[in-house]
Amino acid sequence: MTGIAMPLILVLLAIAFAVAMQRIGARTDATWPQRAPFLGGGLPETHAWQRFHVRYYPMTLLFIAFEMEMMFMYPWAVVYVETGPVALAEMGMFLGILSVGILYGWREGVFRWQ
Amino acid sequence: MAMNWLSALARGAEIPVFAVVGAQGLVPVEGLRHRPGLRLVDSPRHARVLLVAGAVDGAHKTELERLHAQIPTPRGTVWWQAPPLFQRGEAVAGDDPLPAIRAAAEADDPDQRPDVPPHPWQGMGPHGQGGRGMMGGNPYGRPMAMTADDIRDGLALDAYTARFGPFLPMWPPGLVLDMTLQGDVIVSATVVSPPIEQGRRGDAPALCAARMLRLMGIGPVAARMRGALMALPKGSGMRRRLATWLRGEAVAETPAPLSEALPGLEWAEAVLWLASFPPSRLRAAFLTKETA
Repeated sequence: MTGIAMPLILVLLAIAFAVAMQRIGARTDATWPQRAPFLGGGLPETHAWQRFHVRYYPMTLLFIAFEMEMMFMYPWAVVYVETGPVALAEMGMFLGILSVGILYGWREGVFRWQ
Repeated sequence: MAMNWLSALARGAEIPVFAVVGAQGLVPVEGLRHRPGLRLVDSPRHARVLLVAGAVDGAHKTELERLHAQIPTPRGTVWWQAPPLFQRGEAVAGDDPLPAIRAAAEADDPDQRPDVPPHPWQGMGPHGQGGRGMMGGNPYGRPMAMTADDIRDGLALDAYTARFGPFLPMWPPGLVLDMTLQGDVIVSATVVSPPIEQGRRGDAPALCAARMLRLMGIGPVAARMRGALMALPKGSGMRRRLATWLRGEAVAETPAPLSEALPGLEWAEAVLWLASFPPSRLRAAFLTKETA
């Protein structure tokens, strides 16, 4: 009985919490001037929907490239001895593909210290 | 009973005040910064009371009204050594606005601006998209932002054009600029109105240095080390001017025209650059340009 009741109570609590947060968070009483951004009295002339460049993007690319290398090299090292040169060739191809991403990052200036 | 006790506690709390600086208002407002019983906040969103310190030009009435309407209710208004531009709140002529601010913290001004959208919907379609397709149409009667040539590193970003000022707390009071930004880089700037007169006391080195350090988020102890100066970008003269102020001497440099100096700077850099000139010099630079 308690095996069913406990998850049920937890689910109900989670729903109650979500509804309460929704009630607290929703501010529908803001007037139109309050919804405008604060520019010291001025008003924007363009839409708020703007495309913005993610500056950490090349750094993320570099991180993924090295992380994927490490992630697959651990299991590869375990089976390398019994599989032999085939495994070496496969890993070489894999690293070759990943290093294209690193070269791209290099071109984008990710290794430049700023 | 409990409510009385709670409201008594609430009355003892600091009153968040948004200060609008008018003519000769900079020095009195800086004096309020360390007064117990109130706290100067940087946005109307966090304020309870709007304090107008010093006369504000009638040309800025709409902006002031918009600021007043942006303070969440309940709100109060105090006009300190300033003729009221609209009939809300209380006017104080004396040196101490604190009693009036306390009284205003109990007040509840009605909205000063009409509760209507600033840019009414003019498009077509059920979602205001105003056209067909991915990029079609003018939502709310205004075109969508488009990319423009970037002056920093060639990455094209959407241009954002807005009128900044005159009551931005991190800017010289009264300065109004029409600016276009791409990300945080200023691409173009046009001066709409110059800073407000602050008198000779507004140029006091201690005051100017304190303002700059506050904008940098550096405390007075750290300022005695070289850390404050090292945190400023090289080659803009900001280090030299802050060092002069920290030595207790006046800065006598006049800034280059803003429409030439600001483009290329990032927002935070531009704010510090503006703060690194004494208010009277900034104002003089605009006035001589206008008469010339």
